[in-house]
Amino acid sequence: MKRPKLLELALRNLVRKPATIQYPREKTPVEEDSRGVQYADLTKCTGCTLCALECPADAIKMTPIPQGYGVPAKNPRKIYPLIDYSKCVFCYRCVKICPVNAYTVTNKYDIAGPTRANSEEYSLSTLKKASMQ
Amino acid sequence: MGVTKVVEIPVVTAEIPIGPQHPALHEPVLLKVYSDGEEVVRAEVNTGYNHRGIEKLCEKNTYYRDIFIVARVCGICNAVHSNCYVRALEYLLDIKPNNRARYLRVLAMEFERIHSHMLINAVMAEIVGFDTLFMQIMLDRERVMKAKEILTGNRVMADYMIVGGVRRDIDEIKRDRIRDLLLKLKPRVEYYKKVFMEDETIIKRLVDVGVIKPAEATSRSLVGPVARGSGIKIDSRVSDKYDAYDEIPFNVITRREGDSWARMMVRWDETLEAINMCLYALEKLPADGNPVPDERRLPRVIPQGESYARVEAQRGELTYYVLSDGKSTNPYRVKIRTPSFNNVINSAFMYIGLSLADVPVALTSLDPCVSCMERVTIIDLEKNTKYKLTLKELAGSRK
Repeated sequence: MKRPKLLELALRNLVRKPATIQYPREKTPVEEDSRGVQYADLTKCTGCTLCALECPADAIKMTPIPQGYGVPAKNPRKIYPLIDYSKCVFCYRCVKICPVNAYTVTNKYDIAGPTRANSEEYSLSTLKKASMQ
Repeated sequence: MGVTKVVEIPVVTAEIPIGPQHPALHEPVLLKVYSDGEEVVRAEVNTGYNHRGIEKLCEKNTYYRDIFIVARVCGICNAVHSNCYVRALEYLLDIKPNNRARYLRVLAMEFERIHSHMLINAVMAEIVGFDTLFMQIMLDRERVMKAKEILTGNRVMADYMIVGGVRRDIDEIKRDRIRDLLLKLKPRVEYYKKVFMEDETIIKRLVDVGVIKPAEATSRSLVGPVARGSGIKIDSRVSDKYDAYDEIPFNVITRREGDSWARMMVRWDETLEAINMCLYALEKLPADGNPVPDERRLPRVIPQGESYARVEAQRGELTYYVLSDGKSTNPYRVKIRTPSFNNVINSAFMYIGLSLADVPVALTSLDPCVSCMERVTIIDLEKNTKYKLTLKELAGSRK
């Protein structure tokens, strides 16, 4: 009987570190500029609604900014794009189409969890930071 | 003396459903196989488990939203789908992307060809019961997925094409990293090709299974590696020379055997060919300006007219027809004809005479992409009747 062709490879793999990544404990390595969670920086956003119109997945809803946040004067309607990440397909159309380049991009990808993830916290935190400064 | 009595001996057939829970790839398609003992006497292909109405969805959305919608027709060939649609729009708008953009598009599409061909070969290894090989190929496939992530920003969903160019550029560092990954991948692909050529398990399961003669391949309009595995030299990259395929040298791989093994070998050879093309494209990447157009300045309304673009996807020739009325921001009609549509629906003849255990092998060798298929029910409002167009009529095969 002939020697199996994959025997050498199988033996080598016995002593090698496993290729499987134990995901929740160990993060999958992704590129710096891979397309992850994106959100609007509300200090730049003018509430023009273009991103919501252009979103191919209808994941963006223009939502009123809650009371108690200092809204910049360039956003007269006081609305901001709320991205539903469970609908978002991360095509970055909103990022590219934004007339004032208001979107901040990250490579965060682990958004699955017990609650529905959206961009509310991220976007409103930009206003908080601005008011603290 | 004439015949006085005809005795019909009934053939006892058993109806055996193969699928719809992923018979080949993890996609739903039902092969209804009628067998006499172990031998297949008749096969029917039933699809329709994955109908999503994407063509209608395209009519309801703007031209630019559609670029991302058509990319979701099929996950594994998303860059070719969006490239074909984008080129159809470019023909209407009379926009030509610059050379760098054309080369980058070819890179994205060839990466996709590499990982798609590696995937189907891995699945084939799994189907014949060689799971170790499946895992090995999938592990090495990660290299090209990484290369695609560096180039486009995502492992699978590229979203890389836009009217007039591509959506992100690469610099020298990225170029070197991609080249390193491809150079590491190449000896592995050569090794797997050798395994497919020499391994007894694979040869015993694949050779002489599901033979398609060249005449059958042309008369049933089979496309892509399935036709090329039967010796038909058909490739839209050569005949159309779209994007940078006129400048990048490559060979059209054909084999004359026409069986499942030949189709898989065509895929391995094409993978090697694609790696060489990518290395060439990276080497000769032109620097004639910015390949990334400003998406905010693209025209919203496309001039009136119709255009037809085709592209060589991994599974064969993929065509897009776009009709614009010149007034609206939405297309009037988008018609998609995918290669699996031809290959899977028209290939029921191939299973006849096979043994039952060989049916999944023959189906996998066609590289079925079920999410691309199944389109039409005609509803006549005047007569208030429903009429289902048979898949054979739709695919345009001879009755």
